[in-house]
Amino acid sequence: MTGDAMTTTKDPSAPVDALDLDRRGFLKTAGALTLSAGLAPIVGAEKAEAFAYEPYPRDDDMETVVTSCAHNCGSRHMLVAHKKGDVIVRLSTDDGRYQKDGFFGKDTEEEPQVRACLRGRSYRSRLYSPERLLYPMIRVGARGEGKFKRASWDEALGQIAEKMVYLRNTYGPTALLDQSYAGASYGVLHKSDQIEGLLGRFMGMFGCRTSSWSVPSYQGTTFSSRITYGTIEDGNEDDAFAHSKLIIMWGWNPAYTFHGGNTFYYMRMAKQRGCKFVLVDPQYTDSASAYDAWWIPIRPNTDAAMMAGMAFEIFAKGWHDQNFINRFVQGMDQGTMPFWAKGQESFKDYILGVSDGQPKTPEWAAEICGVSAADIRKLAEMYATTKPAALKASWSPGRNAYGEQYNRMAAALQAMTGNIGILGGCAEGVGKAWHSEAVAYPYDEFANVWYASIKSDRWAHCVLNYPNLKREEIGLWPRNDQLDGVIPNIRGIFWQGSDWLNQLTNINKQLQAIKKLDLIVCMDSTITPSGIWADYLLPVATHFERHDVALPWYKGHYYIHRPKVIQPLGESKTDFQIFTELAYRLGFGPQYNPRATRAYFNDDTAVDEAYLMAWWDKVQHHQHVEMSWEEFKKRGIYKFKLDKPHVAFRDQVEKGMPFQTPSGRIEIFSTVLAQTPDWTKTQYGYPIPAIPKWVEPWESLNSPKTKQFPFHLVTPHPRWRTHSIFNNIPWLRETFEQEVTINASDARKLGIKTGDTVEVWNDRGKCIVPAYVTERCMPGVAVLHEGAWMDLDKDGIDRSGNPDFLTLDEPSPAGAFAYNTILVNIGKTNLAHKPGWDQLSTARSHVFRRDL
Amino acid sequence: MANTVDKAKIKEAAQAKKRETYVPVVPDMQLGFIHNNVDCIGCRACEIACKDKNGLPPGPRFRRVQYVEGGTYPEVYAYKINMSCNHCAEPACLPTCPTGAIFKRQKDGIVDIDSTLCIGCRRCEAACPFGAPQYNPELNIVQKCNMCVDEIDAGRKPYCVMGCMMRVLDIGPIDKLRDGTHETKARAPHESIVRQVKNMADPELTNPSIVFVAHSKGRVK
Repeated sequence: MTGDAMTTTKDPSAPVDALDLDRRGFLKTAGALTLSAGLAPIVGAEKAEAFAYEPYPRDDDMETVVTSCAHNCGSRHMLVAHKKGDVIVRLSTDDGRYQKDGFFGKDTEEEPQVRACLRGRSYRSRLYSPERLLYPMIRVGARGEGKFKRASWDEALGQIAEKMVYLRNTYGPTALLDQSYAGASYGVLHKSDQIEGLLGRFMGMFGCRTSSWSVPSYQGTTFSSRITYGTIEDGNEDDAFAHSKLIIMWGWNPAYTFHGGNTFYYMRMAKQRGCKFVLVDPQYTDSASAYDAWWIPIRPNTDAAMMAGMAFEIFAKGWHDQNFINRFVQGMDQGTMPFWAKGQESFKDYILGVSDGQPKTPEWAAEICGVSAADIRKLAEMYATTKPAALKASWSPGRNAYGEQYNRMAAALQAMTGNIGILGGCAEGVGKAWHSEAVAYPYDEFANVWYASIKSDRWAHCVLNYPNLKREEIGLWPRNDQLDGVIPNIRGIFWQGSDWLNQLTNINKQLQAIKKLDLIVCMDSTITPSGIWADYLLPVATHFERHDVALPWYKGHYYIHRPKVIQPLGESKTDFQIFTELAYRLGFGPQYNPRATRAYFNDDTAVDEAYLMAWWDKVQHHQHVEMSWEEFKKRGIYKFKLDKPHVAFRDQVEKGMPFQTPSGRIEIFSTVLAQTPDWTKTQYGYPIPAIPKWVEPWESLNSPKTKQFPFHLVTPHPRWRTHSIFNNIPWLRETFEQEVTINASDARKLGIKTGDTVEVWNDRGKCIVPAYVTERCMPGVAVLHEGAWMDLDKDGIDRSGNPDFLTLDEPSPAGAFAYNTILVNIGKTNLAHKPGWDQLSTARSHVFRRDL
Repeated sequence: MANTVDKAKIKEAAQAKKRETYVPVVPDMQLGFIHNNVDCIGCRACEIACKDKNGLPPGPRFRRVQYVEGGTYPEVYAYKINMSCNHCAEPACLPTCPTGAIFKRQKDGIVDIDSTLCIGCRRCEAACPFGAPQYNPELNIVQKCNMCVDEIDAGRKPYCVMGCMMRVLDIGPIDKLRDGTHETKARAPHESIVRQVKNMADPELTNPSIVFVAHSKGRVK
């Protein structure tokens, strides 16, 4: 009976037999009375009704389970599963009901709802997608051909364990490369982490691990934050943005990339309270339009030059906060240089041109960055004279050749204007804010054991050139033992919740390297472009199918319980189960998973519960939480109430606590960098200046190479994927498509209209993609979002439009991936773009549903 | 649905329909939407929430966030118009329906289609000036937004509204939304309300139950 919609108009005198609420029978009597007055009821007429098709399960008729999204996106939001039997029928999100003292609609500034984005809302489509891996598979064709046969867990894990032992014994402790992360496994227990996750611990304990140390998303920024502040926790909580008077979004598009649960919403509050917004970006983004920002288009990769021009203007006009500089900063000027470095070049010396004879005037900067000197001056004045002002230096302009210089330069601007440690200011950087209790998995001396560690996008270079390369070419991390400087002999790769083959730079070079390997294991929930190249495909249960707790990824102060909403589909297991079973086969099972026995592979319920209870115990004690574990599980969410918005470095600025740098000050002049004698012996490999400087990138619109490749391509994160995840979701596919964005005047010259298929190419590769022609993009710049699932044709051309066929696998000295340092050419083509993915017939599995 | 429906009942309903003269239902209270064209980031979480709620395949899109952009580099602008069904006071779709499948609720003016009566003739699709009715080729019927009547009847709000990350989409009694007396986060206190924005069909056609906070470039006269 689903007649709620009609019952309100029902005549109370109508003879309705409560026991015979057959829909049609009921409507013939009651429904006929709903006609407008003046018309005679038509006896026997069929009346229309909502949800007439049966069964229509209403939310209140189903079981409600609070859970969350899980991907590597910079945020974390609540999902509420409405399930019937063992099937999730639909997902909703936070509506204020679930938290303590919650009620429907509760959505305060202090405790806002954490509403999921379009990707989170599409999860059901991924969970039940045809691309799900449902049982282990072993490659039968050539590598990359995509031919697999179904195997038992015993067979697959037995073979993997045997090969692991062989590779370790034959090639030594660096033979296996750990490529984890960017995937689907971010929780306190089931954690795929690039450095310290379940995979790293497993391989370290096994005694064979080459680690990948540079983080693709933000290594330049991480470097800058660590060097400047001594920590990556330089972020404010998202609610602090509501208190700014000026927000400069530098390469930042919070309408696409959600840094924190409600950053974009708090910025809307700021706008309503009179905050002004500026966007420095080659594109007029949706963030620019939503916040009504002043758009300053800038040539990609020239951000540090423009910032240097702003610094010059601020110094020249005396707008800098000398008191703040004197109290908290090292090396801003000669007066704040450390005693051991007196006479060396300070930041102000560099900006004024004292040492190199080139003052970094707005005119000088304008030549490089393409922004007029007048606009540079105007922005400098706005930023230096509006208090408090937030310069949010996003990660994207740091994903460049010398991207770390941009982030360091931004920190100098933040420091010289005294916008650090105050509400409404901003010191970000990496921007990690509230410190969560993050680890429920076993964490001990094996958490991060490795025998070699390289810059992550140099693995192919290492494999192809072994052993004839220098340590600095691969950014080898120094060690204190005999393995220091030993080039790793990589013979196999483990992917856990990671699609790195599709996501790292210069895919064509990676494809050469991958053919040389002896073992490739891919653990994921769906088939991926990487998985096609694997020898073993291991099906991993999604976060709906295992017990965990979700962390706010980056900003946000809440925990979301993630119960096992449904049983794992097919034969999929959690990655913790897989590693534990492999560890048993390799002889260190009990050490790897101390709470488990080997039976864990078949039932993880009690063990996972024990880990999470122990974790909650830490939360209760460390973070003064009184809610019981049982109540947390019942509610599904715990929201912390902070007495004031969390602002990074508030204690340093208000109470004089030291910064976590060697000098205890904000290091614009870096102690560590200034005292490095031999760069080749560091993980960086090449010199990095002690103060932020403008360094010409190897490719940009200012380089002679533009004669051949006239467009600068940037590859930002799309809104409709998390890196490559969700690329296969039809709902998201129909809202957005992979396309290269170019300016209308450029398009006219090339004879390209929106919807035309074009090829984008350079000397590293070529991809085929439709064009989107707009006035919202700077001339000379092209935009192609990362993460499309590569689809090679017989000539090695990518038909999907994956920009990493064009990127260069040459990281910046500090480790920043040069994802946005690409020159390309663009032209019309007759080749077809493939928005879908049609090479996967052997890997696809059908969806099966249990009881609905 | 249409393939498995009771054909005799369809015929009977169609005959009943022919005997009627269409008189629009005057609801006790008309619910409508409000959308802030400027503050919307165009994330389309509402669209996907709607797809999931209604179990839709690719193709039919009950809710559509339309991207509008203009100007010449570097003086450009952009805004969003977010529309599903406007649950019009005088719905153009309703009288076109040959089987009486489309109806308007007395209680709150929500317009809905009974999918067991729909024969997939798509006349309503052609009649609607706003593109609300969506043809579902898998089911061979036309479907559209019903403002999540099940959620409304349970005392909640539709999935799209509850999914809006920026809180720029809301529902309320349309009279109060129009005169600005309905409390909603979709509109800041200083922002004014309009019934029509540029490139949208004339509201006089059907009197749609939707209002907007318009972008300066999206204002009509």
